[in-house]
Amino acid sequence: MYGAVVAGVVTGIATLVQMAMFALIVHRGVGEAVPVSELSPLFLVLVAAVLVRALGQGMQTRMAARCSEHVRCDARRQIHQHWNAAGPVALSHFSAGALTREWLDHVEALHGYYARFLPQLVLALIIPSLILILTFTLDWIAGLLLLLSAPLIPLFMALVGMGAERLNQQHFQTISRLSGQFLDKVRGLTTLQLFGQTDTAASLLATRSDAYRRITMKTLRIAFLSSAVLEFFASMAIAVIAIYVGFGLLGYITFGPANELTLFSGLLILLLAPEFFQPLRSLSQHYHDRASALGAGAEILARMNDLERDSPRCGNDIQYEDKVEDSVRLGAVGLSYQQAKPVFSDVSLTFEKGDCIALTGPSGGGKSSLLHLLAGFVMPDGGSISVFGKPPGSFSFGWLGQTGFLVQGSWADNLRLTRPDASDIAIEAALSNAGLRPLLDSRDAGIYSQVSEDGQGLSGGQARRLSLARIFVADYDLILLDEPTAGLDTDSEVHVIEALHKLAEAGKTLIFSTHHQALLTLADRVLLVSEGELRDA
Amino acid sequence: MRELLPWLRLIFQRWGRLSVGGLLLLITVISGMGLLALSGWFITETALTGLLLAAGVQASINLYTPGGGIRLFAIVRTVGRYLERVYNHDTVLRQLSDIRTRLFRQLAATPRSQRLGLSGAQWLSRLTRDVDALDTLYLRLIAPTALAAVVSLLAVFLAAVLFDVRLALWLGLLLASALLFSTIGTLLRTRQTSRRLSDSEEDLRTHIIEHLEGFAELTAAGRTGKHAAWLMRQAHGFAKEQAKVDRRVGWNQAFTHLLINLAAIAVLWAGFGLFQSGQISGPVLVLLPIALLGLAEVYGGLPEAFGKLGASETAAIRLNRDSLSGPGEQKIPTNEPSKGTALVATELGVRYDDAPPILMHFNLNVACGEHLGIIGHSGSGKSTLADVLAGLVPAFQGDIAHLPLSYLTQSTVLFEDTLKANLRVGDPTASDAALWRVLELVELGERFASESDLLDTWLGNSGSRLSGGEARRIALARVLLNPAPLLILDEPFTGVDVPTRERICHNLRCWLKGKAVIALGHGPDALPDTDRVIHLIS
Repeated sequence: MYGAVVAGVVTGIATLVQMAMFALIVHRGVGEAVPVSELSPLFLVLVAAVLVRALGQGMQTRMAARCSEHVRCDARRQIHQHWNAAGPVALSHFSAGALTREWLDHVEALHGYYARFLPQLVLALIIPSLILILTFTLDWIAGLLLLLSAPLIPLFMALVGMGAERLNQQHFQTISRLSGQFLDKVRGLTTLQLFGQTDTAASLLATRSDAYRRITMKTLRIAFLSSAVLEFFASMAIAVIAIYVGFGLLGYITFGPANELTLFSGLLILLLAPEFFQPLRSLSQHYHDRASALGAGAEILARMNDLERDSPRCGNDIQYEDKVEDSVRLGAVGLSYQQAKPVFSDVSLTFEKGDCIALTGPSGGGKSSLLHLLAGFVMPDGGSISVFGKPPGSFSFGWLGQTGFLVQGSWADNLRLTRPDASDIAIEAALSNAGLRPLLDSRDAGIYSQVSEDGQGLSGGQARRLSLARIFVADYDLILLDEPTAGLDTDSEVHVIEALHKLAEAGKTLIFSTHHQALLTLADRVLLVSEGELRDA
Repeated sequence: MRELLPWLRLIFQRWGRLSVGGLLLLITVISGMGLLALSGWFITETALTGLLLAAGVQASINLYTPGGGIRLFAIVRTVGRYLERVYNHDTVLRQLSDIRTRLFRQLAATPRSQRLGLSGAQWLSRLTRDVDALDTLYLRLIAPTALAAVVSLLAVFLAAVLFDVRLALWLGLLLASALLFSTIGTLLRTRQTSRRLSDSEEDLRTHIIEHLEGFAELTAAGRTGKHAAWLMRQAHGFAKEQAKVDRRVGWNQAFTHLLINLAAIAVLWAGFGLFQSGQISGPVLVLLPIALLGLAEVYGGLPEAFGKLGASETAAIRLNRDSLSGPGEQKIPTNEPSKGTALVATELGVRYDDAPPILMHFNLNVACGEHLGIIGHSGSGKSTLADVLAGLVPAFQGDIAHLPLSYLTQSTVLFEDTLKANLRVGDPTASDAALWRVLELVELGERFASESDLLDTWLGNSGSRLSGGEARRIALARVLLNPAPLLILDEPFTGVDVPTRERICHNLRCWLKGKAVIALGHGPDALPDTDRVIHLIS
């Protein structure tokens, strides 16, 4: 930032020289009728000043761009840290779209603040001070006029700015809600079409956009008052100075330094007046940069706080180390989320490495929460928990959520996401194990064929099996699966069950929640999870 | 630039507002330049008169006209600036709303097959950022360019009247080059990078969304840190490119400013020649260069706006590709079936895209009030058949005739809106009582009666505060609410546990009486009560 400020000061001084040369040329050429040929040295200085000014201006943006680049990278890194601390369960409470928007767009909104507003803030103090000093040496009454109008400006701007800031935060919220609304409608377009509701949805969008416009205009009407105030003072100062200087030059003003005014000093004072206000004007133009950055920053911070609140927090008396490396143990574990009755108050469970455990019970009974505990995605309020003698989540394991998860790219890209060093052969084997061999054989590019993101071209069951293949390729000891067969057709179901069977045979520790009879049979032990209680079924 | 045309046309639909806004801008800028130029003229005039008076020469000066002019310019400048800002931003927001709504309607009219290729993350980028990129067109690009051209012409005209034509032509040449340099010059220097940035931003967004959606799996595999680091590297490269554009725009801005300052200096130099030969007076000589210094304000924002034009073009290309190129939704014509029949399919052929046909010569007759079950494995084409029967996808051969129908698709779609709004998609006229009744039917009455907002409960991110089974039941409730005499239900009970499913089936017995139902599922227990069942065998 200092680089940008120094460049800005150089630009400011070059501007002063430019204006002084201009006034001097007019004074000598018009006032003293010096022939134009004698003015050439002055013209050369003028051209030089203008060149330096342009150079300084260019350097200023260059430096500012670099500074903002660093700030944005830092901000993104911090957001990542918060995401990691929060863990998958807390993160899943927020829309991926909104989080992405914060990481990308809200951080971009900081750019204007660091590249433009902050350097300008310092320049708005330095440049007007220089001009003020120069004006005072030329004519102290004119200097006084500038000085009097100057302190009022920040005062007004602060008053106006405070209101604008509050409204601006609302504005930001509206924008993110509105774009969410728009996207949401587009996502559900097929549903809307099926019910013949696209027109209704379009008019709803139009009304909501209109409401957004009205809210935003409220912000802007006030925000623009600050630029109007500034414009008023700048215009009035020029007008008053022009008339004061004019009357002074005519000799109508009999007091103060007015009778010492010359065409040079009078014209220079006039030319400096707009330059006096220019940094402030730039500042007010960049004021909405500040407002957007604050709005965006506030949203980012609020989200960080939300994430921190939801982050898994260690209870006071949780014990991890159990020294028993071949079993999974939960002792008197309690778990509760904010402002809700506890999911578990006192749950104990022990099973051996290599066991295959099925969790069953009504939805909302706590099956997923138990899996999240074992995965280390959430932390218990109290009790002791250890997986193979280690805290849960401290080593890699396999996870299959209720929704399969695919990335854009090939089958290989999808499998290498969690296991980047997997060989082509390992990938093919994993896909075969998940029962995708026939599908793979029908694709020209084999494992390098594209799998589109939301499973287009794959049925829901095939997509789930692809996610399952990730587990095969990585060879984990512990595998947690949340409803691995929910919503699958019989064909996929058979493949998934077969795959799980293979994993169990291979001595992996499997824990899954399910209602499915075949899976219940596969398990060595079936646990009924209901209303926070756990018992063998 | 051609890509921008349809959107420019949309923007120019509000030509009335645009002209008023442009006029306000012009008035504001001219008063600003006028204020300074007139003041300069006034000071020089008074200085010369003052010299004469001091030398004892009789001289008179009209103080009132320039004094009044100066005050008028000062006031018009202030008021004009405020009005222009408020008015033009209102226009911009209206255009944003126009663009969103128009885009939504276009998307609704785009063939489904074309939309299917797009993923969620791409939608997110395209439809928010791309629309935002278009909003800069008027206020940052069109209006300032027009303003710069008009004000420059006025300056040239003034030069021709006050000075001489030759000087005016030289001035015109300098200003024209400043205009070209700040607009097209910037565009040419930044277009490529800007476009690339716009594309790589879209990629980055997709990757971030994938990172978040796969967070559980990545965390389990211990890969979040590595994946995040990879994303940070991408973001860093992105920021570097961005800084490059910023720098180029900055230098173009500086150079444009330089050209304008040089124009003022050139006019001053040439003016001295005219002054010394007595063709113009001293005050007039001062007036024009000072006015030209004011042009910097007009040209100032142009390079930045044109630096972003490359990105706007890319945005427009993407929007056009997704929403304009299609021939429009082909309505699949459906005939009325004969009386007493809810759906007749004859010699139906069904296939997914261009894959080999899943079904051939498929005949189906569903009577009014009949409840039919269709059971099939993966690859048996259940969902594709449902789509075809519902008229969402055309059959590649054969005919279908059916009564108005309500269709529960295999994927659960809930809107980020209230429970009420979500249900009313099924029937916009439904009363609150009807909504409660249908919620009872899917065993969700109690669940939402205990919520403080009742029917106004907000269903968060795609209904993420609901369990999968609850979301499914709301989608089912929505379909049941629809008064259509034929229901097609594809896997209606995904994620619903067995006791709840049985209770719902029990409730439905009464409700579905008299309606024709085609229920598709992977097994008989995944379906409500049926009169007969068809097994699809692949």
